[in-house]
Amino acid sequence: MLLLTVFGALLMLPPLVSVFNQSITHFGIPQIVFYLFVVWLLLIIGTGLLAHAVPRDSEPDEGQD
Amino acid sequence: MLSADFVIATAIGYVGLLFVLAYLGDRRARTHKSSILHSPAVYTLSISVYCTSWTFYGAVGNAARSGLEFLTIYLGPTLVFVGWWFLLRRLVRISHLQRITSVADLLSSRFGKSNRLAVLITCIAVVGIAPYIALQLKAVTSSIQAVAGSSEFGQGSLKGIDDVGLAFGIAAGMALFTILFGTRHVDAKEQHHGVVAAIAFEAVVKLTALVAVGIFVVYVGGGFEEIFAQAEARGVMVDAANTFDTRWLTTLVLSVAAIVCLPRQFQVTVVENSDEAHLRVASWAFPAYMLLMSLFILPIAVFGLTKMPAGSNPDMFALTLPLAFGQDGLALFAFIGGFSSATSMIILESIALSIMVSNHILMPMILRFSAPGGDGKGVTSLVLFARRLSIVLILSMGFFYFFFTRDSDALAPIGLISFTAIAQFFPAVIAALFWRDASLKAATISIAAGFVFWVWCSFLPSFESVSPQVALLLSQGPWGISWLRPEAMFGLEGIDPLAHAAFWSLSANILILCTVSLLTSQSALERIQASVFVDVFKRGHVPSGNFVPGSATANDLYFVAERVLGETRAAALFEAEARESGVDPDMLEPSPGFIGRLERELAGSIGAASAHVMLSKVVSGSDVSLEEMMQMADETQQVITYSQELEKTSAELRSTAQQLEDANAQLRELDSQKDEFLSQVSHEVRTPMTSIRSFSEILLDGDEIAPEKRQHFVSTIHQESLRLTKLLDEILDLSALERGERSWENQPVNAEAALDRAMTVCEALLRQHGVTVEQGDRARTTMVEGDADRLCQVFINLISNAVKYNDSSAPVLRISSTTRAGNYVVDVADNGPGIAKGERKLIFEKFSRGQRGSVDQSGAGLGLAISRQIITRMNGSLDLVQGPLPGACFRVRLSVMR
Repeated sequence: MLLLTVFGALLMLPPLVSVFNQSITHFGIPQIVFYLFVVWLLLIIGTGLLAHAVPRDSEPDEGQD
Repeated sequence: MLSADFVIATAIGYVGLLFVLAYLGDRRARTHKSSILHSPAVYTLSISVYCTSWTFYGAVGNAARSGLEFLTIYLGPTLVFVGWWFLLRRLVRISHLQRITSVADLLSSRFGKSNRLAVLITCIAVVGIAPYIALQLKAVTSSIQAVAGSSEFGQGSLKGIDDVGLAFGIAAGMALFTILFGTRHVDAKEQHHGVVAAIAFEAVVKLTALVAVGIFVVYVGGGFEEIFAQAEARGVMVDAANTFDTRWLTTLVLSVAAIVCLPRQFQVTVVENSDEAHLRVASWAFPAYMLLMSLFILPIAVFGLTKMPAGSNPDMFALTLPLAFGQDGLALFAFIGGFSSATSMIILESIALSIMVSNHILMPMILRFSAPGGDGKGVTSLVLFARRLSIVLILSMGFFYFFFTRDSDALAPIGLISFTAIAQFFPAVIAALFWRDASLKAATISIAAGFVFWVWCSFLPSFESVSPQVALLLSQGPWGISWLRPEAMFGLEGIDPLAHAAFWSLSANILILCTVSLLTSQSALERIQASVFVDVFKRGHVPSGNFVPGSATANDLYFVAERVLGETRAAALFEAEARESGVDPDMLEPSPGFIGRLERELAGSIGAASAHVMLSKVVSGSDVSLEEMMQMADETQQVITYSQELEKTSAELRSTAQQLEDANAQLRELDSQKDEFLSQVSHEVRTPMTSIRSFSEILLDGDEIAPEKRQHFVSTIHQESLRLTKLLDEILDLSALERGERSWENQPVNAEAALDRAMTVCEALLRQHGVTVEQGDRARTTMVEGDADRLCQVFINLISNAVKYNDSSAPVLRISSTTRAGNYVVDVADNGPGIAKGERKLIFEKFSRGQRGSVDQSGAGLGLAISRQIITRMNGSLDLVQGPLPGACFRVRLSVMR
């Protein structure tokens, strides 16, 4: 989970995000718009899967990821 | 054509619907404990109060003006929710345990229940949120104006009323609505199920409205591709090269801070949370909601830029686009959506802020100035009154901000001013949760410093357009000091004003927080609270009773509880306690645990600091006795240390006794072994002695024994005495080996040579028994640590055993040696009868002989015992293994010298 958060943050910040800031379009949508929304969607899916995977007990241990 | 009157009537009707929803929701939540209102879906939807009319209108405008920047406002919170396990879960757990009611309460509770800090945070929040509320008022006002247009018919009864009047009307309406909604009763945990239900409903409405407008735009515009293609043709670029600069980072950081620290977000995410498991769903569902929300923002903005006449307000595209295409119904729906997002924000924000204002500012004042034993009217009504007053105060602040800055046009920058103010709490919140050494002074000074920077760099410049003095200040600096200019502090010029303000305020904030924390020491109460907060997952629930037992009577406590909680709840609380401790309610002796619980209950209604002050008045001298309690704790600690030492000593004694017992058992075992050995030796000696005696007696008695016979007897006596000598030699040898006498120095010897020598010695024996010797693989010259003669003795013993016990008609002996994994291994195998399963363990014992296949039982049964003893002395092993031939196989293993 920590990994997902850190990767998400890295992918949204310069300089990584600038790499995708090109004047190309995919399916008629500018690449950068497409890129940001895809990263966003992947983060949501990843979190959804992880949220089911982590233990559910009331006093869970710390430091799960 | 929509008329303003019709639109306003619709809005009022919508508010009425919300009110009914909230009322029903409240009733349902009270009667059905597990209704849909407690579901994670409603929880997630209520968190989406984050998407205000800033999202609905402002984001479109922002996208039209500065491209993708609007996305950061949603990507930041996404990151926070993706990492919910670390931050949000901790916040929710602590707040449930400590009955936290607001972000001010959280920080004041963490930093020693300081009311001063709570007051500071509340003031900053009220001032900082004012622009945000002004934003909502502005958005609603603009949207009504946009719908009404400038035509005579559209204006309707609004004719002659300007923006300010309209905004005032909206603010007043909102204040009334919020008071009716949010301050009907004081709840134990400050949860408002009815309001949350209405907010969740509004979340659905605004999402549907924006998506509907989005789909309409995409449909009219001919699909995403067409919209972006047209925009490019018109020169409206989305992927501006300078989007991802400091401003991108700044807005991302601010939105991360805002989703945690905004009073209304804290209220819905943390305080209204009824089950920690709901966070699991919200962790992905809330980002998904925001994704859906922002999916159509860019197309709407881009399409608006291409289609709408130049100079039209891009903030209102979501509303004006459907109007321009004659879709009045859709425009009305869009208006309701925008109105929804504004109302939900204003309602929750002012409820959250009013709780802070009343708990941290008004209540302490009332408590201070009213005598503790005054009228028994109950504090509840006072609390409610304080809250209503605060709501009016907060909305008027928002209105005045709107009034002074009504000329600025864009929505999003106003919101970011608020975000920067609220972000000042973020470092302290993080430190409160994760850093044990963060101190009250540090938190107070750092937040105050951050606030000062914010006022100077962000808040003040927003009045530039209305006040010539402010404009002058901006360009010249105060008293002409140019390095104090609000948007170019210390000569930091040329960067974006927002990034500038955020950089200076947050840098000062964090720097001061860290250094002052390291320089100052914490009070006792701070230390207790710090460990309660930081170690919330490490230990179980620690009841934080900060009061000394016996200094308060149940009567006094009941009086306090009744005033705050009301008669029914106070009575229920005390009766439950009495039942638990098994005494009559009148005879109840308040335990520290109970006082702690009472304090948390009170904190749920009036905040931690107020509750602490209130109970301090009743529980006599508690402020002093806290120090005493720490001392008592120290003494207890000493006693505990002492008893731990005692325990350690007794554990040592126990282990010594255990060792002695073991040694004793070993001695007994050895003693019995010795007895056994003696009896076996006597038995072994007795057999040859008997035959020697009987033969010698025959020789002594008879004279007429034939000379051949006499010769035979004498040779038997000789043989028996030889055997006896050999036996005694072996016994001496073995006991010497066992006792470590007759020792030899282990030195490098050639093991292969020893094996060869043993085979040469046994050659005669082998030939005599007609044994075929199979030569297996042989190792090359190998050096091991040991004694050559002794090693040879072992090999001879093994070979002669293999010969002696082999009753096969064609006896075969197979000898092989190899080096394997640093070990020199010799196998001596035969095709004899093998060793019966039951004997395998015993054959290395003294005086044990194999039962099968022995032709002559002349051996004393000491050979293998001696061999094993020798090999052990050479740090090797002698074992019985599964061999290549049907009979037994003995394996000698010695480590090779390097």
